[in-house]
Amino acid sequence: MAADATAAAHLAAVTTRPGNAGAFRIAVITALAIAVMTPVGLIVYQSFLDGPFFDESAKASLWAFKYVLVDADFWRALRTTALFAFGLVAVAVPLGAGLAFLLTRTDIPGKAILEPLVLVPMFLSSIVLAFGYTVAVGPSGLVSIWFRETLGGVPWNIYSLWGMIVIGGLSHVPNVYLYVASAMRSLPSDLEEAARSSGASMWRVLLDVTLPMVLPALIFAAALNLLLGFETFGIPLVLGDPNGIVVLTTYIYKVSTVFGTPTYHVMAVVAVMLVLITLPLVFFQRRLLRHSRRFAAVGGKGARASLLKLGRTGKIVAVSLVGAWLFVSVVLPIGGIVLRAFVDAWGEGVNLADHLTLDHFRKVLSEASLYRGIVNTVLLAVIGGAIAVGIYLLVALAGHRNTGRSGTVLDYMVLMPRALPGIVIGLAFFWVFLFVPFLTPLRPTLASLLIAYIVVGLSYGLRILQATLLQVSPELEESARVTGASIGRTWRDIVIPIIRPGLAGAWALIMIVFIREYATGVYLMGAGTEVIGSLMVSLLTSGAMDQIAALSFISVVLTAVGLGLALRLGARIHD
Amino acid sequence: MTELVVSNVKKSLGGLPILQGATFEAEKGRILALLGASGSGKTTLLRCIAGLEQPEEGRIEISGKSVLDASMGLAVAPEQRQIGLVFQSYALWPHRNVAENVGYGLKLRKVPTDEISRRVAAILEKLGLSHLAARYPDQLSGGQQQRVAICRALVYEPKVLLLDEPLSNLDAKLREEARFWIRKLIIELGTCAIMVTHDQGEALAMADHVLLLKDGVIVQQGTPIDIYSQPESFYSAEFLGNNNVTKGRVHGAGGGGVRIEGEGWSLDGEWRGRRALASGESGRAVIRVERVALASGPGPHRIEMDHDASLYLGDRWEHRMRRGDLRIRAFGPNRLPGGPVWCEIEPSAVWVFEEAA
Repeated sequence: MAADATAAAHLAAVTTRPGNAGAFRIAVITALAIAVMTPVGLIVYQSFLDGPFFDESAKASLWAFKYVLVDADFWRALRTTALFAFGLVAVAVPLGAGLAFLLTRTDIPGKAILEPLVLVPMFLSSIVLAFGYTVAVGPSGLVSIWFRETLGGVPWNIYSLWGMIVIGGLSHVPNVYLYVASAMRSLPSDLEEAARSSGASMWRVLLDVTLPMVLPALIFAAALNLLLGFETFGIPLVLGDPNGIVVLTTYIYKVSTVFGTPTYHVMAVVAVMLVLITLPLVFFQRRLLRHSRRFAAVGGKGARASLLKLGRTGKIVAVSLVGAWLFVSVVLPIGGIVLRAFVDAWGEGVNLADHLTLDHFRKVLSEASLYRGIVNTVLLAVIGGAIAVGIYLLVALAGHRNTGRSGTVLDYMVLMPRALPGIVIGLAFFWVFLFVPFLTPLRPTLASLLIAYIVVGLSYGLRILQATLLQVSPELEESARVTGASIGRTWRDIVIPIIRPGLAGAWALIMIVFIREYATGVYLMGAGTEVIGSLMVSLLTSGAMDQIAALSFISVVLTAVGLGLALRLGARIHD
Repeated sequence: MTELVVSNVKKSLGGLPILQGATFEAEKGRILALLGASGSGKTTLLRCIAGLEQPEEGRIEISGKSVLDASMGLAVAPEQRQIGLVFQSYALWPHRNVAENVGYGLKLRKVPTDEISRRVAAILEKLGLSHLAARYPDQLSGGQQQRVAICRALVYEPKVLLLDEPLSNLDAKLREEARFWIRKLIIELGTCAIMVTHDQGEALAMADHVLLLKDGVIVQQGTPIDIYSQPESFYSAEFLGNNNVTKGRVHGAGGGGVRIEGEGWSLDGEWRGRRALASGESGRAVIRVERVALASGPGPHRIEMDHDASLYLGDRWEHRMRRGDLRIRAFGPNRLPGGPVWCEIEPSAVWVFEEAA
């Protein structure tokens, strides 16, 4: 009798193992693995064939590897990419760290306005930024012309590796700032005060205490930006390509024009090479992050009592420095875009006021594909962004308090797409939708872009959602379980209602990510599924600058709307 | 009636044993306290009963139904164990008002809506919270939150009520009051309650039965009076109460008693060690401070001491005295007059144990 009862209870327990929504977790993680690993697998598979994978005569071969490895252009591109990536880090890290120091540890005036402003470049697509710089300080740019008129010459050339490095570096400053500033903010000031009271000067303290404490954040920011440097596509395409300066991403983009026919196997090999560089960087970052968390745990929430007093002159110098950086990295490109979008002629001796026009926008709106691009971008950002947040939420829940092996698998799956530049993910999904039989009907629809976008935004989106989920104290969930709620019911009744504001903020941030995305759609978009960013890439080849200017302006406006929404919904940009 | 059976529950974390075979039973209408220092495994034991932690070994039965049997791979989910748990932090859901927090367990049990509101109103009334039904947790004081947490855990009539340090977040005055009303409520409802605490005063005042834990082992269990006055080990003796502890050589004395000696002093006492005394071995004695009486002249069981210092505690004085390497603290109503002082300690108050357990 008692044995019967325990046996029955045993059966019941098999389906309700505590702390585990096993079936749900496994289903979600499997779906995620398919979505992430299919494109990666396809690229690797393609790299070992001697023809396109859908061609029946294609055989396993190392031909493409041999071709690429003896191609001088490839080696030149690899070298340029490395120079660009390291140069970008060398520019962005000191500037970002200095900016973070000024804004978090000194009494610089106007912090409330400066803080959101310094993040602006992060929210714009690099193709829009690069175009903005072309218009402002390019050889026939508005500022360059003014310079030539007044000084008789222009001392810079942005269509060079140096130009790319400086502009790439400037636009990645916010990525450094974000991490270093949050490390400096969480630095308990009693550590610094202890050093000061033992007789160290403010600058001594900065070197001996502050710097070593934020070093993990600096290293992490450097590794992150190195990765972003290797994956950049927009800046090299706009600034490097006209002078034949090629990086790995643009090499992939251009390789078909070299052959005249799609050379999928060569593209795949270069993509594999790129991933061989980026994947170790991603895992290096993962380890760093664990370390820096441990580091951060040392510090308490010490109220920051002492800010470095800059003094009158110091304040003027600091504000001028920040102002100069803001002018170069925000005002110049955006101002260039705004101006260029509304004038039809400029040059020496031209009064811009006489040439104000709305023609560029008329052109954009009258051309069906461009008009569709705007509508599609908004649809993808607003509706697609909401769907993406829903999917990220499912994935985050599958990993939520999941200490089992499936949790580790999920962790790695989520990191995988970070090693893949958008153009590579787009290319891989293009192949998937082109040749996986039951998926082909999706290709001419926005669903194909949305799926690729969701994979591109996966690690960013998940970071936001996991941080949000961690705010729910475990006891709130445990008390629901004990009260009689299953794990699914607990998620529905307790966890999701509590994080609802966080979900709205995440939606706005994902919206911005989707608006600025340009590389993923380069191969994937077709007639009917155009998006602003990728349209600009293809318009570059035809040189339709008026339309690009108008589209850039629209992109900036959409981003500003998204950013306003994010701030309103209380999205936490400082994670 | 036995409502909870815990037998040989073992759990380790990262190779470190947290629980090393806990076995006990608890009854309806009685309160059992799990008492121990931090790290003794008391909270882990409570969470194992709730199903929030999975022990590697052992069996747990709630109301005659097996909810855990590690040897059979049986582990019933927390939501199916028919328990109520009051968290140390209360863990009230911030997005639900008081009535919704309390009514959630009934809603999950598919109780009709009108009955839910009737039962929620009844229990809120009982704990004097009726006027707060529409408030949200952040609009409540700590004491009110605690009452709501208790209502939430009791409203669906769980078989076992678990309380994790239920009083530790209250201020001193409220805590005294809560000891009384929580005990009254549980006895009135006839629930089987298990309470975790590190505060011996709380355990002794509220519980019918106390389990003393040390390093994942139950070192002693019994009624509060037994636990306090009949310690079975040096640890139990020293953990509870306010004590004088001293070391010395132990010799057998006539009539089953022993004598412990140090430099220039000796005291008659009782042997409480686990094994038989080997005369002349070194041992430790525990003397409750309140069992030391002060006298102004010599007499039986009195020892002359030097007065060191006195601390004023408000309701009494604490006097510190010394003789050789013996240090004794005693309470007294007044300041000491000065001059020689004698401590009177009955042999039954000097508990002598072996040197190392």
